[in-house]
Amino acid sequence: MKTERERATEKGATSRRHFLKITAASLGSLAAVPGSAEALDFVLKNFREVSDEYLEDMLRNLERGYEEKYGKPFSVEATGPYDDVLFGYGLDLSRCKGCRRCVHACVAENNQSRDPAIQWIRVLEFDREHTQREINLDEGTLFYEHDLVPAPGKFYIPVACQQCEDPECTAACPTGATWMEPDGIVVIDYDWCIGCRYCMVACPYGARHFNWTEPHIPEDEVNPDTHLLGNRPRPHGVVEKCTFCIQRTRKGRYPACVEICPVGARKFGNLLDPDSEIRYLLEHKRTFVLKPELRTRPKFFYFFG
Amino acid sequence: MMNLWRFAVFSLKHIVLGGRGYYTWLLFLGLLLALGTFGFSQQVMHGHIVSNMRDPVPWGMFIGTYAFFVGVAAAAVALVVPGYIYHWKPIKEIVILGEIIAISALVVCILFVMADLGHPDRFWHLLPVVGTPHVPSSMIASNVMILNGYLILNLVIVTSSLYRAFTGKPQDDKLFLLLVFISIPAAISIHTTTAFIFNVLPARPYWNTAILVPRFITTALCAGPALMLLAFQALRKAHNVAIKDEALFRIVDIVALVMIVNLFLLFAEVVTEYRSATHHSVHIMYYFEGINGSVGLRDWAWGGVLCNVVALLIFVMPATRRNFIAINIGCVLAIVGVWVEKGIGLILPGLTPGLLGEIYEYTPSASEAMIAIGILGAGALVFTVLTRVAGPLVLSDLEES
Amino acid sequence: MAFDPEQIRRIHPVARWVVFALVALAFVAVFTGQCALDRNTARAYPSRALPPDVEPVLLPPPEVDDEYLPCDDCHEDEVVKVEPRELDDHPEVELDHGDLWCLDCHAVEQHELLQISNNRLTSFEESWRLCTRCHHEKLPDWRAGVHGKRTGQWLGSKEYRTCVACHRPHSPNTGQLEPKPRPLRAIEVQLSAVAAREEAPRDED
Repeated sequence: MKTERERATEKGATSRRHFLKITAASLGSLAAVPGSAEALDFVLKNFREVSDEYLEDMLRNLERGYEEKYGKPFSVEATGPYDDVLFGYGLDLSRCKGCRRCVHACVAENNQSRDPAIQWIRVLEFDREHTQREINLDEGTLFYEHDLVPAPGKFYIPVACQQCEDPECTAACPTGATWMEPDGIVVIDYDWCIGCRYCMVACPYGARHFNWTEPHIPEDEVNPDTHLLGNRPRPHGVVEKCTFCIQRTRKGRYPACVEICPVGARKFGNLLDPDSEIRYLLEHKRTFVLKPELRTRPKFFYFFG
Repeated sequence: MMNLWRFAVFSLKHIVLGGRGYYTWLLFLGLLLALGTFGFSQQVMHGHIVSNMRDPVPWGMFIGTYAFFVGVAAAAVALVVPGYIYHWKPIKEIVILGEIIAISALVVCILFVMADLGHPDRFWHLLPVVGTPHVPSSMIASNVMILNGYLILNLVIVTSSLYRAFTGKPQDDKLFLLLVFISIPAAISIHTTTAFIFNVLPARPYWNTAILVPRFITTALCAGPALMLLAFQALRKAHNVAIKDEALFRIVDIVALVMIVNLFLLFAEVVTEYRSATHHSVHIMYYFEGINGSVGLRDWAWGGVLCNVVALLIFVMPATRRNFIAINIGCVLAIVGVWVEKGIGLILPGLTPGLLGEIYEYTPSASEAMIAIGILGAGALVFTVLTRVAGPLVLSDLEES
Repeated sequence: MAFDPEQIRRIHPVARWVVFALVALAFVAVFTGQCALDRNTARAYPSRALPPDVEPVLLPPPEVDDEYLPCDDCHEDEVVKVEPRELDDHPEVELDHGDLWCLDCHAVEQHELLQISNNRLTSFEESWRLCTRCHHEKLPDWRAGVHGKRTGQWLGSKEYRTCVACHRPHSPNTGQLEPKPRPLRAIEVQLSAVAAREEAPRDED
C-alpha cells in the first residue's frame, strides 16, 4: 500500500477527496467487472486525485477493454516521471527534408486514428524566395506533394506540441483535464476531458487535435504498449496531442520521431543534464522558438545545425 | 404548504390549458424540438463529425450563437432593472418579463454548450465540489460559474415574485432591491466573462484586443432589447397584457443610442486593423474581403453591417422611430446584424486562416442547423411556459394602471 | 435616490440566504477548483532517481561491399600513377565529392586502408577519422549527438553512427527522398469514409 503524498494542502482538496472516496469505493467494485472499461467511461475523478488503488483498477480495466477490442494483450501503465528531469527537444531545420517519416512513425507509435486521420506532427513547407525573410507559421503549406523532397527552393518546418513551460492550453482548460507534468510534458486525462475544444482554440501552434468521431485503428497496426496519459487508444470526443512519447521517454527511450528521422534532424534529452545533446545544442547552436512574443516558453527548440 | 400546492396547480393549469392558438404554438414548438432531437441523435451516434467543425475551426455556430444569447440574457436584465431604480414607471412593471427573457436565453445558452461538448455526459466536471472547475484561470469555467449563478438568481426572483403575486402579497421591494444590487453587475459580468473567453487568448490576435469586451456589451444591448421589443409585442397580443407604448419607445431609444456606440466601436476596430496592416490584420481582411479566392464570409460581413446601419436609421428617423411596423423591421435587422457580428463575424474570422495556414471555410451542417432550431424552440418553450404563469399573475394587473 | 438605507437592513430573509448561498458557492468554487488542481500541480508520484550516466555507443559502420575484396587480387605489384585522372575501372563508383579523386582518400600502397595524410592510415571501420580530417568542424557536433541520427536510450546507452552510415563516401550528399503522403485537408475529413468502413462486414478488413 503506497501512502498518498498530498501536494495540495488546502482544506477544500482534502474534504472533497474524502467525499469522493466514499462514492468511489462503491463504484470501485463496479470497476472490477471485466470488460466494463468502455461502459465505465464515467470515471469519477481527475487522474491527479485518484488513489493508487483506484488507479490500478482503472489501468487493469482499460487493459481488459482494449484486449477485447483489439484481440491482443495490452499494457496500460501510468509510469511516473524521473526526478530531476525536464525534457527538451531540438529540431535541425537545415537538415529536415520534409519527408514526413516522423509524422507516420508518430501515428503508428501513438495509436492515432487512421480514419478519420489524425496526425500530431504536421510539416510545413515554405518557399525560400517568398517568405520575405521571416517565418510566419500560417504562410506555409501543409499539403505539399512532390515526387522527391526536399523540393528545390523549399525548406521545411515540422510543428507539433511545443510542450510550453507556460502553456496557453492548460490555463484555458475549464476542467483541469490537461496539465504539465513535473518532467515538463503537457498531458491530457482522456477520461476527464469534456471535449469543449477551448484548448484547441487557445493553442498558438495548432498542436491539439480532436476526435470528431470514434477513432479507428486497424487491429494489426495498434501499438499495445501504452501509457494512460499518452498513446492508449482514445475515446471519441476528446482532445489529443504529442506527449513526447511519454510511454517511451519515461523508460529512457527516445520518442519515435527522433528514432525514425533519416537525417538525424531531431534531438531529445534532459534539459537538466549538462551533458545531454539538447543542452549542447542550446549552448552551441543558434536556437529559436516559435511565437516567442506570446511568452509560452516552448521547450521545443529549432536551430540550424 | 397548501399555498405552494395551489400555486403549482395554478401554474400547471395555465401551462397545459389554453385556446387553439396556444395549442398551435405548442405544436409548432414541439416540431422544432423534435427536429432538434433528431439532429442531436445524429451527433450522439456519430460524434461531432456530423457537424462541419474541424481541427482548424473547432468552434462554429454553437459557440457563436451561445455568445449571442448570453448577450440577450445580460441585456434583458441590464435594461429593465435600471428602469426600476430610476422609477421609469412604464418599464418598472415589466421587470419580471426581462427576467423571464433572461431565463429563457440562459437555458438556450446552456443547451448550446451541451450540444457543443464532445462529452456532454461529463459536464459535471465543471461543477464545484463534484468536479474540478478551473477558476479563475479558465474563462469558460468562470463564465459557466457566473452564468449558472445568474440563472439561479433569476429563477429565485421570478418564482418568488410569482408566488407572492399568487398569494396576494404585495411585491417585495426589499427583494427587488437586492436584485438591483446584484443583477446589474451580474448581467454585465456574465457578458464580460463571455468576452474574456475570447479576448484573453494571445494565440488569436483577431480576438486579443480590449475593444472586444465593450463590443460584446454594446452588441448585447442592441440585440437583447430588440428581441424583447418583439417578445413584448407578441405578449401584448397573446395575453391582452397592457405594456405601454411608452415603455417600448424608451427601449427603441436605448437601442438606437447603443447601436451608435456599437458602430463606432466597429469603426475604431476597422481603422486600427487596416491602418496598422500587420500580419494579424489578415483575419479582418478575410472577413470583409476574403483571401486567395475564399470569400465565404464577405457577403455576410457587409450584410451584417448594413442590417445594423439600417436598423439604426429606422430607430432614429422621426418618420419611422414611432411606427411599429418599421420598428419591428428594425428589430429583426438589429437581431440579424448582431447575430452576424457575434455568431459569424466573431468566431470564424478569428479562426480563419488557421494557425498553420489552412483555410477551411466553415458553414453549419444540417445536423447543426437542426440542433440549433431545436434549442431555439426550447428557449421559446421556456419563455412561453413562464409567461403563461406570469401573465395572469403579474401582467394583467397593468390593465388597471 | 431610489432606495432607503433602512430598507437594506431589513432585507428579506429568503433573499439573504440566496445571496449568502451564491457567495458561498463562489467561494467554494474558487478554492476547491483553483487550489486543488492548479495547472502545474501533478499527481503525488513516488520518487524515481536517475541511473548513472553511460558513455554513448558508436555503432559499427555498415559492411563494405566485398565484391572487389581483397584488393591485392588485382592490384598486387602494381605501379601506381598518382596523377588525378578519370578512370574506367570500378565503374559502379559514382564519384561526386568535391574535387577529390580516388587516391586523395584511398591509400596508395595498402589498398584496403584509407590515408588521412602521408603517414597516417586508417581502416574502413574507422573511416570517420578520414572524414573529420577535412570536415573537422563536424566532429564536436557529431560526438555530442547533434550531427547525425540518434537512436538507443536518452537515459542509458545513446547510439550514434559513423559518417558512412548515412553519407556514401563517394557521393556523400544524402540527396532526396520520396515523401510520405500529405495529410488530409479539413474538408476531406468526413463521416462517409468512416460510416462505409463501419457498414462493411468485418472479415473484409
